[in-house]
Amino acid sequence: MSDTTRVFTYALLTALATGLGAIPFAFVRGISPAVVAWTNAVASGLMLGASFGLVAEGTGHGAWETVAGATVGVGFILFTQRLLARSGVRLGQGRGPGAQRMLLMIIVMTVHSFSEGVAVGVSFGGGMALAAAITIAIAVHNIPEGLAISAVLRPRGASLAACVGWSVFSSLPQPIMAVPAFLFVEAVRPALPYGIGFAAGAMVFMVLVELLPEAFDRARRAPVALIVCLTLVAMVVFQQYL
Amino acid sequence: MIADPTLAVLTYSGLALLSAGFGAIPVALRQRLPPSWLGWANAVAAGLMLGVAYILMAAGLPRTPAIGATGAVLGIGFLYWTHGVAGTQELDLDRLGDPAPDYGYQLLLVNTLHAAPEGIAIGVAMTLSPWLGGFMALAIAVHNVPEAAVLAAVLKSRGLTLIQAAGAATATRVSQVLFAVTTFAVVAAAPGLAPWALGVAVGALLYLVMAELLPHCYRQAGHTSIALVAILAMGMVVLLAAGAP
Repeated sequence: MSDTTRVFTYALLTALATGLGAIPFAFVRGISPAVVAWTNAVASGLMLGASFGLVAEGTGHGAWETVAGATVGVGFILFTQRLLARSGVRLGQGRGPGAQRMLLMIIVMTVHSFSEGVAVGVSFGGGMALAAAITIAIAVHNIPEGLAISAVLRPRGASLAACVGWSVFSSLPQPIMAVPAFLFVEAVRPALPYGIGFAAGAMVFMVLVELLPEAFDRARRAPVALIVCLTLVAMVVFQQYL
Repeated sequence: MIADPTLAVLTYSGLALLSAGFGAIPVALRQRLPPSWLGWANAVAAGLMLGVAYILMAAGLPRTPAIGATGAVLGIGFLYWTHGVAGTQELDLDRLGDPAPDYGYQLLLVNTLHAAPEGIAIGVAMTLSPWLGGFMALAIAVHNVPEAAVLAAVLKSRGLTLIQAAGAATATRVSQVLFAVTTFAVVAAAPGLAPWALGVAVGALLYLVMAELLPHCYRQAGHTSIALVAILAMGMVVLLAAGAP
């Protein structure tokens, strides 16, 4: 197997691991407002924690580049929000604001995977000796992303299969981007902080503009705050040990 | 630079405390502040605090993630518990013109409690490096202005004069100085406590953002403007901290 094929295969395996994040939601069915608020809180904590990790990595390459990327990420969400609001989108049984939020979540997580794919390719560029270790680390890291997506989709009526499917879908840009990034490591490396910043900016803004306000609307604020903070801390520590 | 580090902590946190007085300026300029201003002020404070929590985490967590996380859970749990005991979980920090006597007491209590972890953040940052300590004090000082403005506006709407309102808004932040100096002294004497203090500060700051600052400001201004203001403030902190020597 050539190195290029191996990079693609490994990155594809990590994408499939994202689907594992949907499994805990086999048991969540209720569509009560509080459940939506709490799962929003879980997704918020996971995404904020992941973004903290991304920002730390991005500023290591270049702070200005990271912040510039984040600004584009915020702009991207604003633009997509307007577009979705105008299109009257439907998704499964959902429609209206709920369906828009589900679709926006899928878009955010998918788009953020593009820059993650680049990061994967660049890290393989360091040599294939560590490939298996990197693959496992990224695969495990992807599971909370599936968790975040399912946390938003499942309580709004998506089936478990749909949660798994969309989780895997959101990570497919990883194998697609990993290969060119691996082949052209030197050319791609300078773009890395922009991409990382974009991913972090888009996720933090998604949390601030969609997930948190909805959570605070639907449930008492103390449990929401508690869930967000504990999930965030867990995510940050989880990343530290990978 | 100030040679004696304890004196430096006292000076920095003292200056941060006094900067809360600037919060009186917008209150003095307008007879009655529009609610959207209060929302944005809290969003600025929330963004700055999220940035500060990130900086502390990035500076100290990688060395001792397990202790840091345990400390964070303690910080989060302590505030959750205190709010529960005081019955202030759902307290809005910015109800203009609410004359209920209970609201006044609760507001001052919550603001005083709120300032304590911020003091811990300054103190523990100072033990990591003088530069980080100074930066932390600056960030807290800037964030004190919108927070004090919100409190002063509410107090003034309850009938206090501008001077009284500004004085009370500043006084609730004295706990910042107390906790900054105490944390620094304790951690300097027992360096093993540093990751604990760091974790407590991070957890508590995050909880304050999520439980006190953000929830109500979404009702006072649009979601988009609140999110933009908060992420902008957060980005400024990240960018400035990247200039660390």
